[in-house]
Amino acid sequence: MEDNGDGHKMQVNNLTMYYGDFKALDDVSLDFASRHITALIGPSGCGKSTLVRCLNRMNDLIDGSKVEGEISLDGENILGPGYDVISLRRRVGMVFQRPNPFPKSIYENVAYGPRLVGIKNKEKLDSIVEDSLKRAALWDEVKKILDRSGQSLSGGQQQRLCIARVIAVQPEVILFDEPCSAIDPISTQKIEDLMAELKKNFTMVIVTHNMQQAARVSDYTAFMLVEEQGQPGRIVEFGDTNTMFTNPSDKRTENYITGRFG
Amino acid sequence: MEVRRDFHEQLNELYAETLRMGSDLLETIEKTRLCFINLDRELADEIIAGDDVFDAYIDRLEGGGLELLARQAPVAVDLRMIIVIMRMAQHFERMADLCEDIATAVKHIPSDYLSTWIREAIDEMARRAVRLVERSIECFKERNVEMAMELDALDDAVDKLNRKFFKEFDRGREEDLEVAVRVVMVSRFFERIADHAVDIGEHVRFMVEGTISPT
Repeated sequence: MEDNGDGHKMQVNNLTMYYGDFKALDDVSLDFASRHITALIGPSGCGKSTLVRCLNRMNDLIDGSKVEGEISLDGENILGPGYDVISLRRRVGMVFQRPNPFPKSIYENVAYGPRLVGIKNKEKLDSIVEDSLKRAALWDEVKKILDRSGQSLSGGQQQRLCIARVIAVQPEVILFDEPCSAIDPISTQKIEDLMAELKKNFTMVIVTHNMQQAARVSDYTAFMLVEEQGQPGRIVEFGDTNTMFTNPSDKRTENYITGRFG
Repeated sequence: MEVRRDFHEQLNELYAETLRMGSDLLETIEKTRLCFINLDRELADEIIAGDDVFDAYIDRLEGGGLELLARQAPVAVDLRMIIVIMRMAQHFERMADLCEDIATAVKHIPSDYLSTWIREAIDEMARRAVRLVERSIECFKERNVEMAMELDALDDAVDKLNRKFFKEFDRGREEDLEVAVRVVMVSRFFERIADHAVDIGEHVRFMVEGTISPT
């Protein structure tokens, strides 16, 4: 990895994004620090999920989507012509709101990605599966039932399985899009603990509606807002999380996080 | 639109309760001044008995603040306000204790024993302390940082009076030693009250601006 832990793993410069004629993001610039957690907060429809989906070009899959500006990963523009999207998605993994394990065994869920990149050696796969499940804090709960369906696990376990699945392909960045909104509070805490642990190796971005979750887990927080209906989402304020939650400088941030709107 | 309305109502109530505590305290300090200059023992007893009121206030303010911290996860200006309310409650309570100390001292000073110069000098200090406390509560109420930052300069006059007081005793005035010590302590207590008011000003600045260390 080229980053040294202090630099910016990903940088978004003047990003504008359209779904057809609708401008969803306007002139967004934001840097994601290496091996830190950046949270994106803001009311529904402010473009935070759209922004996070730009980071591994998930929006490419939507007809009529169009982006302007630049997003760089280790200094290389991922929006550039001919950029290898498949390798991008391997380097920038994603955990979704609803845990979505494949209808396969726990083992196969984790081994799937490594197999896809050509790892066939059984011992090698075993060790990747074990290591990934351990890092996802799930190993102890599933080590005896690896052949059981991933979908038989509880919601919180399924989400950690999805995290293990992402880790297994050794990404550099992990995007979390509302990872805890569909799971119980204890599982939520486990995932938050897990994120703190994963920070040693990965750069992470989390979209969350739960402001306290942003306050608890992130190092940096960006607050996004749609000023008026029909307008695009913009970044209102970005700063270190402590400052954002104790003394934000923009009144709109303060109003939002304290629950005073308009 | 506003969400978390219950929380904000509880916070506003805590804020109002702080102002009530401040207003009661101000009355007590003023009473304490009168108590001293008139060597009014009855009033002294009243002040000493009245200290319970402030203990009850601090229980409500600290308890209420803790509850909001624990249950509401307040942030930004709300968080700072709760912290400041809890700190102010402490300052108020200590000021009330100082009033109690002054009242206790009054009970040990013989009624014909206070020379005019002492009475006048303490009266001057006490009046200034009252004004400082009044202004510190005012700037909390108005969230007025400018006013809060003026308190320190106002306090200089109180400090000077306190120092001058020591010197006057040095010049061999013929007050009885025990009375002299008590009077010097009373002077010091009023000076401490004024110091607390200056601290409150710093807290108000933190509440409004979020700056932690005083410049």
